[in-house]
Amino acid sequence: MEQPQASLKSRVHTVTAKPSVKKKNQLGYGIALLAAIILFGVFLSNIKAPLAIRWMLGIALGFVLQRSRFCFTAATRDPFLTGSTSLLRAVLIAIMIATVGFAAIQYNAFSAGKPVPGNISPVGIHTIIGGIIFGIGAVIAGGCASGTLMRVGEAYIMNMIALVFFIAGSALGAYHFGWWKANVIKNAPSIFLPNVLGWPLAFFGQLVLLFALYWLALWWDYRKAE
Amino acid sequence: MAEVHLDCLGEACPVPLIKTQNKLNQLNVGDILIVEIDHSCAMKNVPEWARKEGYPVEIEEIEEGHWYIYIEKNK
Repeated sequence: MEQPQASLKSRVHTVTAKPSVKKKNQLGYGIALLAAIILFGVFLSNIKAPLAIRWMLGIALGFVLQRSRFCFTAATRDPFLTGSTSLLRAVLIAIMIATVGFAAIQYNAFSAGKPVPGNISPVGIHTIIGGIIFGIGAVIAGGCASGTLMRVGEAYIMNMIALVFFIAGSALGAYHFGWWKANVIKNAPSIFLPNVLGWPLAFFGQLVLLFALYWLALWWDYRKAE
Repeated sequence: MAEVHLDCLGEACPVPLIKTQNKLNQLNVGDILIVEIDHSCAMKNVPEWARKEGYPVEIEEIEEGHWYIYIEKNK
């Protein structure tokens, strides 16, 4: 990228803390950490193979979350705040991929006559209220569940505080859940779309809807840019 | 041409972005805003927003986990 004038920072005079101090080379730490991860994975696989797979998936997921700055909170917040939908589109693509994968697994079970796997939970007004409460909390805490965990790994102190209350809140929620289930959720129906719409309409309809949302997000981004 | 520092250390996103937007509104054309952040998330959305607005942006990592974002209000 060619710049017609001197770079911005070379024209700035009030920055005294120039990064003259050489940054520490972290390659050694990286290699040591990688070795520790592999060793622990081998240790886990000796106990039970799925444990090692979960360990590796967790590490990979955390790595991708951190490097890509993937953030569900920002994905739903930025379209309104800044007009940027890059993260929202990433989330939509993730849901599309998950839809295909989940549909394959569930249809397999369905055709074999087995119960359909997955968390098919009752839907109702409590879903919306819970979503709003969670959203407010996530924006204030600066991250949802995965985002908080990822930033704790980055040693961001605010999210460490958030994690403490995230755990406390989850425990309290789990403790109280029986009451809510018995008094609020009991009449809410569990809706599994393929049962209502049939498999083809549920599957392709969901994909079409997601594509439409993607297109809408793209339009929103460019409309804001003008 | 003034150089204005904006301290956003310890602020989680979206606070740095909102502060940057407000501060940039108060500046005159030709001023340079230097936003200090230590939240890696703001590393994404502050430059992204400023570039989209058409301002020249540069990022400098002063030390580990501590960045300066330079934004020139060129219009």
